[in-house]
Amino acid sequence: MGQILEIIFTADFLHSIIRLSTPILFATMAALISERAGVINIGIEGTMLFASLMGVVGSAFTGNVWLGVLCAVVSGIAFSGLLSFFHLKLETDIVLTGIALNLMSSGLTIFILYILTGDKGVSTQLASKAVPNINIPLIQDIPVLGSILSGHSVLTYLAFFLVIALAIFLKKTKLGTYIRAVGENSDSVETAGISVNMVRLKALLISGAISGLGGAFMSMAYVNMFTKDMVAGRGFIALAAEAMGRGVPGLSMLSALFFGMADALSNNLQLFNMPSELTRLMPYAFTIVALGIYAAREQRKSKA
Amino acid sequence: MFLAVIMICGMLAGCQSKSEPAPQETNGAAADDTKKEDAGEAAKPEESKAPEEGKDLPKIACLLNGNLGDKSFFDSANAGMKLIKDELGCETNVIEMGFDNTVWETTLYEVSDQDYDIIIVGTYQMQEVLEKVALEYPDKKYIIFDSAVSYDKEDYSNVYSISFKQNEASYLAGALAAMIAADDSLPLSNGEKMISVVAAMDIPVLNDFIVGYIQGAEDTVPGTKVAVSYIGDFNDTAKAKDLAKAQFNLGSSVAFNVAAQAGLGMIEAAAQNERYAIGVDADQAMALKETQPDQSKVIVTSVLKNIDQVLLLSVKRHIEGTLPYGKEEALGMEENAVGLAVNEVYDGIATADMKSKVEELQGKIQAGEIKVPSAFEMSEDEISQMKSSVAP
Repeated sequence: MGQILEIIFTADFLHSIIRLSTPILFATMAALISERAGVINIGIEGTMLFASLMGVVGSAFTGNVWLGVLCAVVSGIAFSGLLSFFHLKLETDIVLTGIALNLMSSGLTIFILYILTGDKGVSTQLASKAVPNINIPLIQDIPVLGSILSGHSVLTYLAFFLVIALAIFLKKTKLGTYIRAVGENSDSVETAGISVNMVRLKALLISGAISGLGGAFMSMAYVNMFTKDMVAGRGFIALAAEAMGRGVPGLSMLSALFFGMADALSNNLQLFNMPSELTRLMPYAFTIVALGIYAAREQRKSKA
Repeated sequence: MFLAVIMICGMLAGCQSKSEPAPQETNGAAADDTKKEDAGEAAKPEESKAPEEGKDLPKIACLLNGNLGDKSFFDSANAGMKLIKDELGCETNVIEMGFDNTVWETTLYEVSDQDYDIIIVGTYQMQEVLEKVALEYPDKKYIIFDSAVSYDKEDYSNVYSISFKQNEASYLAGALAAMIAADDSLPLSNGEKMISVVAAMDIPVLNDFIVGYIQGAEDTVPGTKVAVSYIGDFNDTAKAKDLAKAQFNLGSSVAFNVAAQAGLGMIEAAAQNERYAIGVDADQAMALKETQPDQSKVIVTSVLKNIDQVLLLSVKRHIEGTLPYGKEEALGMEENAVGLAVNEVYDGIATADMKSKVEELQGKIQAGEIKVPSAFEMSEDEISQMKSSVAP
């Protein structure tokens, strides 16, 4: 037990929480913006996966890491555009469409990878670039704190910056206000003469762009390659994190960090011969508890 | 318009596995050409091939329950089928069934209905499916590799099972890892006598690697600590990387990849944290040499599973009529079915003492002087006891 505590209170462990939380944080913010417009974006998982491949492909073919990130963002937007087209224009069910697009993404990424490299599993044949890590001046010199907060990927800092940006966006801008209004009472927005679908489309496209960043982080920062189905459920965990954070950017960030911590803990407890079945359960058990709390809260709200 | 594009994309993605036989055949044609050239030197190209066909060569299908491109397991089976085609001249067909396990059974039925003489499948995931189908087609011959059907339950006289003694090669890997971890004169070792494993899942065939690895480490450098982590699937590369980073932070000097493709994340972690890695199934140092040289140079060795050689040998024995259908055979170092990869990276890292020790142990295993424990013969309790006895 003492040994476990020793591990938990090291800078390495806290550093790894931030790294593990980053993809979940991106996905959570992507879930948040669409949820606030009244659309549950189930397709985040597939969007991230598609973007993570396109990031690798883009950076390999242009030789520039930032063009690769741009490529990931654009493909994230395109993928979300597809979801919007089906849901908003053709009025398909968002959950079914999202699931279908997730499945398509899984196959399509392998297909594209196969065309480009002849491989169906990994992209190691493509010389893709990695997003650099940066040390923050001043902060990196603070004893323990420096080694925890400094030296992360540029995208990690961008993720945390995005939380603040989204909070301001939703509160202070016109589009942000429309998005919140559509999510809370779409009928009244319609009577005010604003197109609900247009607002939702914009929210979904922003959601896609953020998912794209999350995908870029997976394949260009977390690890430096694309592998089949590499997002591995992080897009779904984000839906729970968003729900647990009640759609508030700050709270949602905390719940994303909470899931990151559960992950880091499960990774480290295994080293001490804790049964892996038990430790691997932790993030998902947290998800179920979180969703349960959320559902109970909703029920109480609807009764009131 | 948009919809049409998407549908086409979807269809193409769906056809992926079915379109595979076509490239296979072009490979075959190319192989035939080279064969003719070779035979040309031997004077009579056409006639040299004729007697082979007269012998009535078997027509072989190989069903893979996954996709090619994993740089290890399935690719090795595919290479084996190419060898069979090139060296024996059999008609072969490789069918990728993908990871959707609902189509495996129907595909096996379909292929069994066709005119193949031998049908090859692999992995424990196909075992149950094969147990059902093989009974209904007693005239067909089946070969299953890396698993075995339950011969004590039913009459499987038409099935030949090949299991690999991965524990033997892992024993050598464990011995090598323990020697490296105890020697702080090596640049990337801390001398703390701690090694580790990142495995995909807690299943017998992977535990067989781990059991051998632990035993090899303990026999060679007693008191070595072995940290064992499981990813939970074969996909999550990022998680594999984090598990390995946690192990390295704890003090492990060498990590062993028992997770095929997801394990590439572990190798990346080793390169970043400046520690050593051991690859699996294929020679991963050589596979990554061109594109990821910084990762390639920390992969001391790889535990090889020579599926290609084993399949070639099996079909040869089938043609000779000596393949023991209705039986399981466990193939190890003696048959060249498993082994350690010896390459320039290995030569550069391992000291002369280490190399001679590994060779000595290899000789003892082959001579039967060392009996390496196997996870298939141990209960779950015994395995977890073994793991906890060496846990850090």
